[in-house]
Amino acid sequence: MISIDRLTARAGRFTLDDVSFDVPQGAYGVVIGPAGAGKTTLLETIAGAIPASRGRIHLGGEDVTAIPPEQRRLGIVYQHAYLFPHLTVFENVGYGASTPVVAREMAERFGVDGLGDRSVKALSGGERQLVALARALARRPEVLLLDEPFSALDPRNRATARRILRAIYYERRFTVLQVTHDFAEAGLLGDVAIMLDRGRVLQAGNPEQIFRKPASPYVADFLGAENVFAGVARPIKSEGMDWSDGDGDAFVEHAVAFTTGSLTFYALGDAEPGPAHAVIRAEEVALSMDAATSSMRNQFQGRVIELAPAGAITRVTVDVSGTPLVAAVTSRSARELGLAPGVNVVAAFKATAVHLC
Amino acid sequence: MTQPVPSLADLQVTSEPPESRRGSGAVARAAATVVVALAASLFLLFMLAPVIGLVSAGGARGMGALTRDAELRAALTLTAATATIATLLGVVGGTPVAYLLARRAFRGRALVATLLDLPLVIPHPVAGIALLLVLGRASPLGGALYAAGLRVAGSPTGIVCAMLFVSAPLYVSAAREAFVRVDARYEFVARTLGDSSWRAFRRITLPLSARGLTAAAVVMWARAVSEFGAIVVLTYNPKVASVLSYDRFTSVGLSDALPVAAVLVVFALVPLLALRGLRAAREERESV
Repeated sequence: MISIDRLTARAGRFTLDDVSFDVPQGAYGVVIGPAGAGKTTLLETIAGAIPASRGRIHLGGEDVTAIPPEQRRLGIVYQHAYLFPHLTVFENVGYGASTPVVAREMAERFGVDGLGDRSVKALSGGERQLVALARALARRPEVLLLDEPFSALDPRNRATARRILRAIYYERRFTVLQVTHDFAEAGLLGDVAIMLDRGRVLQAGNPEQIFRKPASPYVADFLGAENVFAGVARPIKSEGMDWSDGDGDAFVEHAVAFTTGSLTFYALGDAEPGPAHAVIRAEEVALSMDAATSSMRNQFQGRVIELAPAGAITRVTVDVSGTPLVAAVTSRSARELGLAPGVNVVAAFKATAVHLC
Repeated sequence: MTQPVPSLADLQVTSEPPESRRGSGAVARAAATVVVALAASLFLLFMLAPVIGLVSAGGARGMGALTRDAELRAALTLTAATATIATLLGVVGGTPVAYLLARRAFRGRALVATLLDLPLVIPHPVAGIALLLVLGRASPLGGALYAAGLRVAGSPTGIVCAMLFVSAPLYVSAAREAFVRVDARYEFVARTLGDSSWRAFRRITLPLSARGLTAAAVVMWARAVSEFGAIVVLTYNPKVASVLSYDRFTSVGLSDALPVAAVLVVFALVPLLALRGLRAAREERESV
């Protein structure tokens, strides 16, 4: 496991500030954040390249804050593989391996055993990354730190590298902490996601949870939520609303009205009265031609202003009383509904789909 | 009467200047070329003529003197030996310093680097005087060394000290650059693969910076061989080659100094050619 407690470290002018999170034993943690968030600094502090000026780092239950990198039982793979240029492929893979047999086995797993005696200078980008992964895993680390190891690869090599790594990960169940700037990758890979920005943790937890319930409009925006509204929240439990349909009466106590511009919609939460942000994932917004077909709490008449097809999903922007609302529908539904700019539609979403932050 | 509408061709801005301006521009360019070529030729002549003149006037006699002149042979041997010892000492002591300056951020790093460069810019007789102050028999350290049987001033040890003092900064500076060129992450990755810091340095950083370090040592050796000012203050006798050529020039004259000087020039070509070879090998490696 990786347990980071109030970690502070400095790298040049950059400061990693009071960072805390846990990745359980055998879990796959993903650090997400924009460029300059401190993701690599975080990994290098955990690995021991950068000294911690405050806080503690526990790996596998042991406090490693003050021990040298070679005793932390971890491996690190960077985006630029950092293969030792004066050594052959096999010498690289076997560099930290306990025996040549282990190294050979790992080279075989990653399909680089055929490159054995070649100079690493002659390798392609994809091959280099596979060799770097094989080299790190040949040492059998308990914690694997990955600094965007797939981002420089073409889609085919990326898929191959990911597949092999996942297979070994499921077999051995070491703990992984991977850095990425791509939330889709985090959602795809991670059990735990840590959202980092400017050296601070903005939110940590289950990726699905962060995706659905971002802690701030910034997180929501970074995670690609299209519908983020600034407005005013007003708890309405005392106003005798009928919540018996759609969202169920179990939530009556937590009903909130949220007003943004000329638009008011209903949410469920424990929001304090006053300024707030509402986040609605585009996937939660349904479009129909007729209001009667939906039992959802929030229904608005609007007009399609833009369609952005992307493969099987089409993102449809609907103008609702001057507020743009984005819905993600299947491209097939978009065709069947005859959606096009200027067409009037009903946009609907549940009160439970509205996340207030 | 209406004005004719200009066609598109009329409106196009031409990059060609008018005929008269084009003519004067060409003359100015030709004149500039002549001036630059003349300056470069004069510079090359100034730099090469003394060396070529020296070798052509004294080269044959110098080579001949190598077989006859025992003092010249002894001076050359002493020069090569002391320069080699000074370089070895510079490599042993300077490599860790260069590594620290390249890799570790510590308070006063810039000050240490500046102080280490100081012997390069102070007049070398001044460097000799400074060394004499610290290592001469009258000084506490020099006196203690003398009492222990190690005479510095007026001995080959003094020559080594003078060479080390004035030429080691070149080694440290070039070695530091060689270390900086090797990304610290290679070494760090080696440490995550189980190497101690010393082992990672030995297995990764040292081989990757070996050519740069060798070039730095060659530069230091060449500088040590050519040293005169500091040596002449600290140890006039026994004579290294540079002191011998000066001694013959002042005591006998140009004709006796010439063969020694010519041999020294040929001697200096050896490290220069070695450096050229190292650079060519590095460029070839980096172009792979």
